[in-house]
Amino acid sequence: MATEKMLTGCAAAAQGAKFAEVEVICSYPIRPYTAIMMELAKMVANGELDAEFVHGEGEHAQLSVVLGASAAGARAYTGSSGVGVAYAFEVYSPMSGGRYPVQMAIADRALDPPGDFGSEHTDAMSTRDQGWLMGWACSPQEVFDNTLMAYRIGEDPRVLLPQMVCQDGYFVSHIPDKVVLPDVSQVKEFLPPYNPPHPLDPRKPYSHGPQIRPDQGAPMDAQRASAFLEVPKVIKEVTEEFNRIFGRNYDPFLEKYKLDDAEIAFFIQGAHANTCRKVVDKLRSSGVKAGMCRLRWVRPWPTHEIAEALAGIKAVGTIETSTSYGGAMRGGNLIHELRATLYDLPDNERPLVTSFMAGLGGETIWPKDFMYMAEVLSNMVKENRTKKYVYWIGLEPEE
Amino acid sequence: MPRNLPEYGKIAIPKEREVPLGAVTPAPVRVQKLHITSPWRIYRPVIDHEKCTRCLNCYIFCPDACWEYNEENDEMELNLEFCKGCLICIQECPAEALTPVHELEFEGGVVRLDNPF
Repeated sequence: MATEKMLTGCAAAAQGAKFAEVEVICSYPIRPYTAIMMELAKMVANGELDAEFVHGEGEHAQLSVVLGASAAGARAYTGSSGVGVAYAFEVYSPMSGGRYPVQMAIADRALDPPGDFGSEHTDAMSTRDQGWLMGWACSPQEVFDNTLMAYRIGEDPRVLLPQMVCQDGYFVSHIPDKVVLPDVSQVKEFLPPYNPPHPLDPRKPYSHGPQIRPDQGAPMDAQRASAFLEVPKVIKEVTEEFNRIFGRNYDPFLEKYKLDDAEIAFFIQGAHANTCRKVVDKLRSSGVKAGMCRLRWVRPWPTHEIAEALAGIKAVGTIETSTSYGGAMRGGNLIHELRATLYDLPDNERPLVTSFMAGLGGETIWPKDFMYMAEVLSNMVKENRTKKYVYWIGLEPEE
Repeated sequence: MPRNLPEYGKIAIPKEREVPLGAVTPAPVRVQKLHITSPWRIYRPVIDHEKCTRCLNCYIFCPDACWEYNEENDEMELNLEFCKGCLICIQECPAEALTPVHELEFEGGVVRLDNPF
């Protein structure tokens, strides 16, 4: 029977892994994600979860251990935060290149220097071009749900790709919220056991991870790219089925909040969407036609869906929460992809686009910050031009 | 698509360039032709069969199992498709029977990658 519990994002991720019946877990401590592994270690020790729990020597080892486990055919689970995500970098491409559908839970944390425990998306965003599926949750419930959905999508024979299930450190990972835990039978119906194509097995030996020739590099890259062309279809199917079995109402790619008649819109991912939604309501009650578009998946980037959702809106502002030093707009990453996404819209439907550096280093994005952004966007509409590519919230020079 | 936005397109890998999914290949195979590793060799170990004592050190130490003892003609043989030119065999040869020779010295030597440009 389904039950309701108050869980942090970390506890919800651990519950997700438990319901997914992960077989191999590899941990290494770094906060804030560590709380996931603490929960899982308890579950294994208590006999609630039958899994191999391996403690790695570091994040590079963590990823290597789960790669091997996945090659042997296991459903494998790992995770990290901040500099830990960076330390594992070498293994991201072999993981997707070898087509191992492991799952990595990320509770975002700012990268050094110097040490900062706050949430910032730069850790996981830095790995976004390594062939992993990647998406952000904005509540413990969505963390739990994404854990199950990501396994199902990643293990689909049309996909076979690793997944990062991201949540903001602290804002989601450490704040308890209501989570509906399903009945085991629902999960059984939704998530079949992983069926690996070529598991390591002495009775039928296979070589994994061999040296390839330079002329095999392009076809291998194309293989992964082709898989990504299939992913959106699979995400749609799987989300529909998830909604049906678990009684949810997820849009596969985007949370479109009051976008239909909006003149200005926030483009956002992760926890700060919760504050943003409230501000949209407040703006609406004062007569400003505001809306919010929240990304559920960053990889694959839902190009067409975003273009359709934002067409006709007059001004859009990305809330970045990650850095791209020296990038085209000198702020974060989302604006680059958003502008590229909207480029092919007809002139009369293409929004003006700017970006807001906010929530960096774990700072809270307050309602007043969103109100300031709304003012910038409204002024863009009034003047019918984008004056600046990027605004640093709380750090703007006085005009 | 109501707005006629560009498509992602499709990718077609020609049959002769296909690579197994994830480059996972059947094993064990003595010589895995799918994954030849020699195109980056700069120096080739050349053997002097007169000096060679058939101690098999090269056979043992080669990280890619490229040295083999041919019983018929009682000689060590090098598999040039997989020798990366690391020259560990030269380091380990107690008889000094091996010499490094630049690939440019050989007709058809490895002087470039398979499909360089």
